[in-house]
Amino acid sequence: MRIKRTLQAAGLIAAAVILGLLTVQGTYALWGATAVASPGAVSSASFTVNLTAAPSGQVTTMTLPDGRPANVALTPGSALLPGTSVHGGVVVTNSTDAGGTFNTVATVGQPTVANASGGSLAQYLSVNAKTAASTGDCSTSSGYAPLQAAGFSSPPVPKAGSTVLCFQVALSPSAPSTVKGQAVNITLPLTVRQCGVPDGC
Amino acid sequence: MKNSTLIKGTAAIAVGAALLLGGGGTLAAWNDSVSAAPGTITAGNLDMAKTAAGVWKDRANNTIDDISAYRVVPGDKLTFTQDVDVTLTGDKMAASITALGTGEQNGFISSNVVVTGPSLTAGGAPIANHLTQSADVQKVTATITFEFLASTSGQVDVNKTYNFGNVGFTLQQVVAGAGLVPKQS
Repeated sequence: MRIKRTLQAAGLIAAAVILGLLTVQGTYALWGATAVASPGAVSSASFTVNLTAAPSGQVTTMTLPDGRPANVALTPGSALLPGTSVHGGVVVTNSTDAGGTFNTVATVGQPTVANASGGSLAQYLSVNAKTAASTGDCSTSSGYAPLQAAGFSSPPVPKAGSTVLCFQVALSPSAPSTVKGQAVNITLPLTVRQCGVPDGC
Repeated sequence: MKNSTLIKGTAAIAVGAALLLGGGGTLAAWNDSVSAAPGTITAGNLDMAKTAAGVWKDRANNTIDDISAYRVVPGDKLTFTQDVDVTLTGDKMAASITALGTGEQNGFISSNVVVTGPSLTAGGAPIANHLTQSADVQKVTATITFEFLASTSGQVDVNKTYNFGNVGFTLQQVVAGAGLVPKQS
């Protein structure tokens, strides 16, 4: 009985040794030489977009330090009368630290116009958008186009460059006097995406 | 009984010795010899040496002077080229170059990054990664490619680091012709 166990153990050890040799034999069978290079580390860029609102003057990064999207208030100063409009704008700056080309496109989605305090003003408002060279140009009525479901996109913004998105809110001349003194909250979703990889936008 | 066994054994040895003595007579017969000159067997050589520091370039083939200051974005494709001198002698010598350690300390999500290589060029022209023997030192450039895929979405992998550290380019002999040992797995 003892001899049988000894033989079994010896057989197992032999099988393990043979298996081990078969497994590693390729690593020592032929010549090899090694030269060591030091490529170093490759680091990815930040995706930093800075927003500056007008006329409020609020400045923020598009993504807050905790990862949440920022809210930026434009806060037009003047009151809205039938047949008139108010304007606001936001400067979108591509502040990435990318080493190479990094172009972005800012897109404004369809606005959400919500009546405040149960009013009915929203249905008489239209929201238009355009791009401009500066926020000062937002007060010029020319160039505005209605914001559609497809959204409105800026031209490509290169690294360290910026674009200005202007918004116009117009009150219909046919707005009834019942909407007098009412307010709305207009939400404009802004998305900035990288474009043109690997080629141009 | 014991003495009987001893006697029998001694007798057997004696008979064997007698037979050997009898056969020894064949040494006295005719014999002849010739001389051959096989010559000297000389081993070949396999060696590889780095000749200069490696160089990083971007997709547009612009040199990146300081990779530590460069920040990649989705769509970037960087190449690291390393010039090496390869010595391969031996009638049936052949070797290929592999790169070890390219995946060290990778902070990126693996599906967003593709590291390939090494691919080889000589004199600017692509060559197969199957080098054969040459009397001269072969000037070879090994290239590793790092691609940050344009399919990376959202803000995934911003501010991450892929540390190549030290990459070992290994010149490994491969079996090229008949008469060599089978390729080891």
